[in-house]
Amino acid sequence: MKEITLQMQELARELLQKGEVNVVLGWEKGTFWYLSPPAFVDKPEDVERLVYDDYCHHNLSKYLMDYRYQEGKVAVFLKGCDSRAFNILLEDNQLEREKYVLIGIPCPGMKDQEKAKEFGVNGDIPLAKKCQECKYPNPLVYDYFLGDKKAADEAAATKEAKAKEYSDVEQMEKMTSDEKYDFWSSQYERCIRCYACRNVCPACNCRECIFDQSRTGWIGKANNASENQFFALTRAMHVAGRCIECGECERACPMHIPIMLLNKKLIKDINELFGEYDAGVKVDGVLPLGHFDKNDPEEFM
Amino acid sequence: MSVKETSSNWEPKILVFACNWCTYAGADLAGLSRLQYPPNIRILRVPCSGRVNPQFVLRAFQRGVDGVLVAGCHPGDCHYVTGNYFTRRRFLLMQRLLEYVGLDPERFQARWISGSEGPKFQEVVTKLTEDIKALGPNRKLRDAQ
Amino acid sequence: MMKIIAKERLPEVLQLLAKDYNVLVPAKFEGVSRFTPYSADVELALEENVLMPPKDIFFPQTEKMYKFKAKDKSLEIEELPVEKEEQLIFGIRSCDLKSLECLDQVFLTKGYVDHFYKDKRDRTALIALSCLQPQEACFCGSMGVDPQNGVGADIQAYDLKDKIGFKAISAKGQEILEKISGLLAEEEVTIPTFGEFNLKADIEGVPEKLQGMFDHPLWADICRKCLNCGACTYVCPTCHCFDIDSEVRGEDGVKIRCWDTCMFGEYTQMAGGHNPRPTKKERVRNRFMHKLRYFPERYKMLLCTGCGRCVVKCPVNLDITAIIKKIKEAE
Repeated sequence: MKEITLQMQELARELLQKGEVNVVLGWEKGTFWYLSPPAFVDKPEDVERLVYDDYCHHNLSKYLMDYRYQEGKVAVFLKGCDSRAFNILLEDNQLEREKYVLIGIPCPGMKDQEKAKEFGVNGDIPLAKKCQECKYPNPLVYDYFLGDKKAADEAAATKEAKAKEYSDVEQMEKMTSDEKYDFWSSQYERCIRCYACRNVCPACNCRECIFDQSRTGWIGKANNASENQFFALTRAMHVAGRCIECGECERACPMHIPIMLLNKKLIKDINELFGEYDAGVKVDGVLPLGHFDKNDPEEFM
Repeated sequence: MSVKETSSNWEPKILVFACNWCTYAGADLAGLSRLQYPPNIRILRVPCSGRVNPQFVLRAFQRGVDGVLVAGCHPGDCHYVTGNYFTRRRFLLMQRLLEYVGLDPERFQARWISGSEGPKFQEVVTKLTEDIKALGPNRKLRDAQ
Repeated sequence: MMKIIAKERLPEVLQLLAKDYNVLVPAKFEGVSRFTPYSADVELALEENVLMPPKDIFFPQTEKMYKFKAKDKSLEIEELPVEKEEQLIFGIRSCDLKSLECLDQVFLTKGYVDHFYKDKRDRTALIALSCLQPQEACFCGSMGVDPQNGVGADIQAYDLKDKIGFKAISAKGQEILEKISGLLAEEEVTIPTFGEFNLKADIEGVPEKLQGMFDHPLWADICRKCLNCGACTYVCPTCHCFDIDSEVRGEDGVKIRCWDTCMFGEYTQMAGGHNPRPTKKERVRNRFMHKLRYFPERYKMLLCTGCGRCVVKCPVNLDITAIIKKIKEAE
């Protein structure tokens, strides 16, 4: 990854020096060793801030929305999940492809920050759960590719061949309805409705979110179990078929709510009901809930 | 709708989203034909079953409804040609999601009822009312007030 | 000489106090620690400060203010029953005590008394607990807080590794200490020395410098990674903005006040559609200006206690100590 860091810096310097782009979005080292937050580099002399290490979780594609109406091009580094996020934003007509210089980098999986904090710098830190289950570690869309493409493709092929991992969802499904309800109620009782999950999510790209319109009466500011679950279920339905499994919602959640357990349920059902589908892999205008098949199942109708 | 009932006089409240072109006409036909069905349902007419937003369903449960039925034209018969195909996908997912968060699956149903199916309307709402009566009042997802 | 008890016998003290008070203790549940009503099966979390600050004990995230009934042209207002139960918080840290001092300024001074806040404040006794070691995101020392001696507590408890020592500070504290004195032994103790802070912030001159920095290009730079979520403000012990809303069902309604955050666009959204803080630049600037300049100007104290919660919880590591450093270095 050290080598990729150097290549990243070099390419960023070149793009900025030539004036091809105004800003480069990457990662830099944060307050602690296990944090690599987003970095915005707009001067060639600052490119040394850029790093690529085990903690570059942040999905940078969402930030591209901030540059939609600005002059000039923007370069961005994309891991596998970030590239799927970019595709979803293209699919939703939020971004223009030509405005962005995409620099793909292979991803070996990011490490669990919570565990890193617990085990310390010399500990044996496992990959984050979302990365263990990842099927697309390589960027699916890019203008430049850094690192060894052949080795990366081989590594990706083994991951893609793996069956999708739904054991946690299946375990949940086996519970009785009261057990399920108690579980989710206790999870969402904790929700402080900071909306970090929504703001970090590339599929949450509405110009004005329903949760920002309290005057419409859909959801008030009051924090209680019912409103919080309304928020959770509405958001789950809104991103259904567009969740790219980057797991950023769950990582961003300050209250440790297993948000991906909801999103994965919808992904599993979409796959079962409407055929194999991975959001953000192709940009073809065919989204599971924006589309239909005359032979769709009718299991309860 | 008050959510404060005592168990002794409890009767389920069921919200039916009926599409204007088929199910609403079907309900009308049931009435004209003097077909008896339980008075527990409240019909809310919508232009198309595709108009029903998942939030409508969640809001109904929040405000104290015990069951929700979304009903529209049979596939292929939609006044807007394809609206009900989208409904089908959306609510197939939604029903599974509601079940996943602990709501009894019987409480949320979708059916195709055409304008000529007065007896089917009677049959569906009677069965739904019976099922929900057996389950008892819904406490899940409800707001406290 | 100090009154002490072995750490493993602390539940006996809490049990005894729970007879007279609703005792709130730091406890962890599913990865989130907060002050929780004490009961025998609560697992105490005394190793580090709680994630959710004690502000919600005095200023809940959602609080009902009064009920009303609107019928035809008449309006009836119904006061809600007032809680009378005496409360006691055990294990509040120095940084959070400082935050109560900040909240007191807002809710009790300058001629405005918020009776919702005052009522809870008046019936809550505070047992502070000293810190042994700073956590990695702690920087209270830089914010003028002494992690081993809180200000404004009724009793200061000292973490003596295997024991806990108690020292009464107020008359109320003396009274509480007498209730539990049967369980305590007297012993000569030395308070363990506090470790080195991992994080530091040099705040000297920052409030003054910020006076001329409203239009500084620095804000456009630091705001870029901000997501405009409310995580920082909701875990902050001093952030105190709220919104008043009503929940109406037919003729009946309740007025509620709820936490709000300057990070949200809706916070400054006006009825006509204009938003004076349209982008994240203005919102981020407001948050730090409020903490480091506006509040000190009005109340002569910083609105940051160095508890480090926002540093830990910000999903994009927008670190207030780093921002203070940037402000210091800015030209």
